[in-house]
Amino acid sequence: MATDTNRIESFGTVSRTVGTAFRYLLLAATLFGIVMLAVFLVQVFNDAIQPLTADAGWHLTFLLTLVVPTVALSGYLYLRTPSALRLGAAVVGTLVVTLMFGAGLAMVFVDVVVPLVWLSYVVALAIPAVTVVGLEAADRRLPFTVRTGLTVAVAALSLLFVPGVVQTVPFVPTDWMIVALTIGGPLALVVAGRFGSLTDRRGGLAAGVVALGAVAVLSLLGPFVGIDPLPMSVLAAVAFVPTAAYAASAALSRPADRAGLALPVVVVGGAFLGAFVANLAGFAGPESWVDWQFLTSAHSSDPVAAGLYPAIAGSILLMVTVAALSFPLGVGAAVYLEEYAPDNRLTRLIDVNISNLAGVPSVVYGLLGLGVFVTYLGQSTGTVLLGGATLALLILPVVIISSREAIRSVPEEMRQASYGMGATRWQTVKNVILPRAFPGILTGTILSLGRAIGETAPLIMIGAPNVLFSTPTELSDKVSAMPLQVYSWATTFAGDDFYNGLVPAGVVVLLVVLLAMNSVAIVLRNKYQTEA
Amino acid sequence: MSNDTPMTQNEEASTESETGSADPTGDTLVETDVSSGLDGGTPQRSTSRTLIESKNVNVWYNDDQALKDISMEIPENRVTAMIGPSGCGKSTFLRCINRMNDLIDAARVEGELTLRGKNVYDDDVDPVALRRRVGMVFQKPNPFPKSIYDNVAYGLEIQNKSGDHDEIVEQSLKRAALWDEVKDRLDESGLELSGGQQQRLCIARAIAPDPEVLLMDEPASALDPVATSQIEDLIADLAEEYTVVIVTHNMQQAARISDKTAVFLTGGELVEFADTQKVFENPESQRVEDYITGKFG
Repeated sequence: MATDTNRIESFGTVSRTVGTAFRYLLLAATLFGIVMLAVFLVQVFNDAIQPLTADAGWHLTFLLTLVVPTVALSGYLYLRTPSALRLGAAVVGTLVVTLMFGAGLAMVFVDVVVPLVWLSYVVALAIPAVTVVGLEAADRRLPFTVRTGLTVAVAALSLLFVPGVVQTVPFVPTDWMIVALTIGGPLALVVAGRFGSLTDRRGGLAAGVVALGAVAVLSLLGPFVGIDPLPMSVLAAVAFVPTAAYAASAALSRPADRAGLALPVVVVGGAFLGAFVANLAGFAGPESWVDWQFLTSAHSSDPVAAGLYPAIAGSILLMVTVAALSFPLGVGAAVYLEEYAPDNRLTRLIDVNISNLAGVPSVVYGLLGLGVFVTYLGQSTGTVLLGGATLALLILPVVIISSREAIRSVPEEMRQASYGMGATRWQTVKNVILPRAFPGILTGTILSLGRAIGETAPLIMIGAPNVLFSTPTELSDKVSAMPLQVYSWATTFAGDDFYNGLVPAGVVVLLVVLLAMNSVAIVLRNKYQTEA
Repeated sequence: MSNDTPMTQNEEASTESETGSADPTGDTLVETDVSSGLDGGTPQRSTSRTLIESKNVNVWYNDDQALKDISMEIPENRVTAMIGPSGCGKSTFLRCINRMNDLIDAARVEGELTLRGKNVYDDDVDPVALRRRVGMVFQKPNPFPKSIYDNVAYGLEIQNKSGDHDEIVEQSLKRAALWDEVKDRLDESGLELSGGQQQRLCIARAIAPDPEVLLMDEPASALDPVATSQIEDLIADLAEEYTVVIVTHNMQQAARISDKTAVFLTGGELVEFADTQKVFENPESQRVEDYITGKFG
């Protein structure tokens, strides 16, 4: 039969040997760096925390109260409703990251900024902000110059007089009340808006009142667990209440995933239960170098008494200064280059140079900072302002490049739509491009800040002290930073305990802060990607 | 004419066009006979004034000439379709009308293109102000990543228009035949709508500031047949209040919805411009007949 004669016995095979070899080579290349880093980090964490010095009973207690329930619950959720597990993990992650930011902010309020001064400036800035909103609402036909003039005048007068007035008002609210109001107030508004859209007006109002009340109550309860009301109010307003609000709003909007909220309960409850049981039974924990004393005291020649506190505070202050300087400059340059600049030889030259500047060694930027700010502008060496300005210069090219990427990724159709509606360039940038590019810009900026926080060389070049015993409280104070302190422990004080204990401990703190910052960037990026 | 009360302006505009034949200003009158079966949807109208007139418009992209000596008169409150093969310059011509080509560095326009007698390429014409009178809908639906309400109100916001924005947004969405589908979710993102809904949202956005002309660059080419038919019905309705200029690849679409048709052929030439019925049933040029009957292009 015809069909039989045309029958194909086999299609033959095509060799894939080279392709397979290539594939596994690529896998090896991918894993090489990651595995090396993992081995190194495990060693550092082992040296810093020394988990093996703890009693077996201590490990067993936490295994039973924390690890086993968490793993069991996660496995159960993973098999039943994976989205619930993601929600639970997100709540735990939010709690951890916000707690760290809250701790950093609490440090600022306790040691750097007097809450009353903070309040006076908040009031002074709130007045022009209210003016702007009022002008918008009152008459949208007011000429631009009049509006701008009024706003600038109000802002200048307000900044000039209001702080002084507020600081001399006879009735002074206590510090924690100031924080609870200035941070808890906006938080309550956000919570009210979120719950208002989930339920109704009254629900939102109630949620906002509950949030503000919770901040106040937690602040007052702080002393009972050994935390002063001021830091407790910061922690409550930045970490506890926002996390609880996030969990509650998720429970309302995603009823199917409610089971996932058991995960944070199990994790937090297990940790406390474990600590309680271990304490009761007298099991000794690990002799960790990273402990409360390490985080809260200054350097000392005795390694056991030495700590990282002034360096942590210095790093936080430097980051605030760097962000305040590099963000407006970098984003401004990026917007100009992407949206306004003509495509000519000069802009292409600037393009190439910005890319090259991103690769210039950081020590050169240190020299630049020293030359420009100290020699020419007569700044004193090693101050917060000088360090911040130098590090800002260092990351400026990266901020510009990543912001330009973000702006470029705004689809051309959006610009066309806006221009087609008769929008000016400024209106298009303000209403369409910046809102759309903002998450990307923020991601890039946070990742560059992560680079700045780990820099040592530029700070050495500008004469920042390696060791600092007092926390800087002003822009003109001497500043140190975490990597500098770690570097000095590894070189100047190269005793055995310094080298094997304090250095890893400092590295761990630095890495954890870095990861917390990057996690914010990752969350922003994921949110951005799902929206795009 | 004041822009304060958009509804009034529309009424004025349509009144003018109805009494256009008696207009003493002596504007060119274009005979537009659309009574035949090609265009059953649109109401019967006889004559209309010229709103847009182009005289010898040439466009270059760097050294490549995209349009050659285009001269045509686009009537007011009518649908004028532009058809032709890809790359024939029909979209380029559309973008000349609201000077969107200004945004392309390489583009150069010569000739005269008047809107209500004023050359839009005069030195004293602000292209941004021009675009506020000439709405545009693009090939791919391009709502902003904002709420449905903010999308429609965008033109009102950037033009600082006074008046009740809620009312204008509602009216625009109704005119774009989208209101019933979105009235309960004006706060949701415009990107969550389907493709056809997004395009109607873009039309609502374009008509909210009450332009005189609505330019549409292949508005239905990215949509499925059902959404396409909705958009086509909408265009017929819009022509009662606006002058619509539409670029399309789809010849049946041009035949269904337009009063006048311009056929562009390769090389940027305007080969034929006449009443739609005439172009499709009895074209003067052999090349147009070949194109329409599918022998070429």
